[in-house]
Amino acid sequence: MKNYFLFILLFYTGIVEAQQFNVGIRLQKTHQMYWENGVSAQYSFANFKPDRLFVGFDFVTSRLGTAFNSNALKQDSYIFSGSWHFFKKRQVHLVGRLNTGYLTTDLEADIFAQLPSSAFLLAPEFGLNYSPKQLPFSLNTGIGFYVNMLEESKTPGTFQPLYYHLTLYYKLFENKK
Amino acid sequence: MKTSLKNILIAGPLFLAVFLFSACSDAPEINDSLLDGNVIFDPSLYAPEDYLVSAKYPNPSAEDLDKHILIASHGYSASTFEWQEFVDWSADADYRVSSLLLDGHGRSYEDFKASKWEDWRAAIIREFELLENLGYTKISFVGSSTSGALLLELMETGYFDKHVKPKNIFFVDPIVVPTAKLQTIVDIVGPMLVYLEVDQPAEEDKYWYRFRPYQTINELNEVIQKVRKGLEKGIVAPSGTFIKSFHSKFDPTASTTSTVLIYKGLRLSDGNKIAVQLMDSEIHVFTRLSLRPSVSALERSNQQDVFAQMAARLN
Repeated sequence: MKNYFLFILLFYTGIVEAQQFNVGIRLQKTHQMYWENGVSAQYSFANFKPDRLFVGFDFVTSRLGTAFNSNALKQDSYIFSGSWHFFKKRQVHLVGRLNTGYLTTDLEADIFAQLPSSAFLLAPEFGLNYSPKQLPFSLNTGIGFYVNMLEESKTPGTFQPLYYHLTLYYKLFENKK
Repeated sequence: MKTSLKNILIAGPLFLAVFLFSACSDAPEINDSLLDGNVIFDPSLYAPEDYLVSAKYPNPSAEDLDKHILIASHGYSASTFEWQEFVDWSADADYRVSSLLLDGHGRSYEDFKASKWEDWRAAIIREFELLENLGYTKISFVGSSTSGALLLELMETGYFDKHVKPKNIFFVDPIVVPTAKLQTIVDIVGPMLVYLEVDQPAEEDKYWYRFRPYQTINELNEVIQKVRKGLEKGIVAPSGTFIKSFHSKFDPTASTTSTVLIYKGLRLSDGNKIAVQLMDSEIHVFTRLSLRPSVSALERSNQQDVFAQMAARLN
């Protein structure tokens, strides 16, 4: 219970200190591979590079994409990111972003237990962000490339490098000062 | 600061574009010692009767027709050499092996470059239908690497519904997803690369294309994507056909995930799953050991294991 209150306190303190806090849905397609969709959140600090530097977390899964009601492999990606918005005073920002995280694939059958089923993620990404001032929404799109950090045969075959995504954010909090 | 940032944003992509285009390769330098050239061709083109059962026995007797025929087909950029060890190993067997050459292969770089995956598949259909029309009823397949995908494609499209049902289909390191991560972006970078050169021993240059035109890699990607999507929807094997996939645990070319996808997406006609065996191996098409720089006892054992398992189902 104590931890719960501590979490709530930190959460709301964070919001108060936020310049922007956005949550949204993310649609992602890996080139010549799966659709993996999920959720996204990003946060900009009020006192440090407001509206320029964003930290974020994304969760995308093929369960909400190609693997939905099909024989495709179920795989989940947990992605932490830092992004920098260029031309922040305009409605359309150029975005440079660095992602890191973890991918895990469910190979299901015991006979495949010894095969590679996960990979660390590291991906530089470039994109655009459209953020109309009069609306509580922003639209973010990007194209990224996963850098392979292991011998290629030691990662799942469904982990492929080039991806593109479209994320629609709702501005849960925005400091307009 | 703003000006320098703009300069970087404009000059960066321009520099990258110039660099990529300056790195473009023209046609490869092909000499007569390569399969890619116009001197060395696959021997099955000169003497098909030494490779194809349909050519060797154009008028089969009743005794011939009673024999089990295994159609062996090789992978992308390879030739009949890939299954020659099994052909030799089977010299005294009751069954017969028809070792075919995929169209576009075993000829020249230009022939390869012009070929489509449907051409590669055509050689399989041609030999199968010749045998079928001659009256053979016991026909099986073994397909390595890309031929695994081609056989899956035939099942996906229901090709066997109106033909003799294969007794067995064996896959050896079948490809549905590639191991090489850059293979999936060849449709984007291919025109700049023109071709990929594979660093293979000189002896292998006589049996595998050394230069792989990007167009053929796109063809390969097209057929494996088609098969992957088919597996996602579900493919049912021909009635009564036994299917087994053998795959190296750490295949450097055809990701072992391919066999996971086949296992998930392909069902036998009785609803059961196919058989799978993962091999303790890090080589692609582990059944071909000839011309490998070194062969371990384990690799030899893997090969013999699969040869024996296939033979047991052909007698």
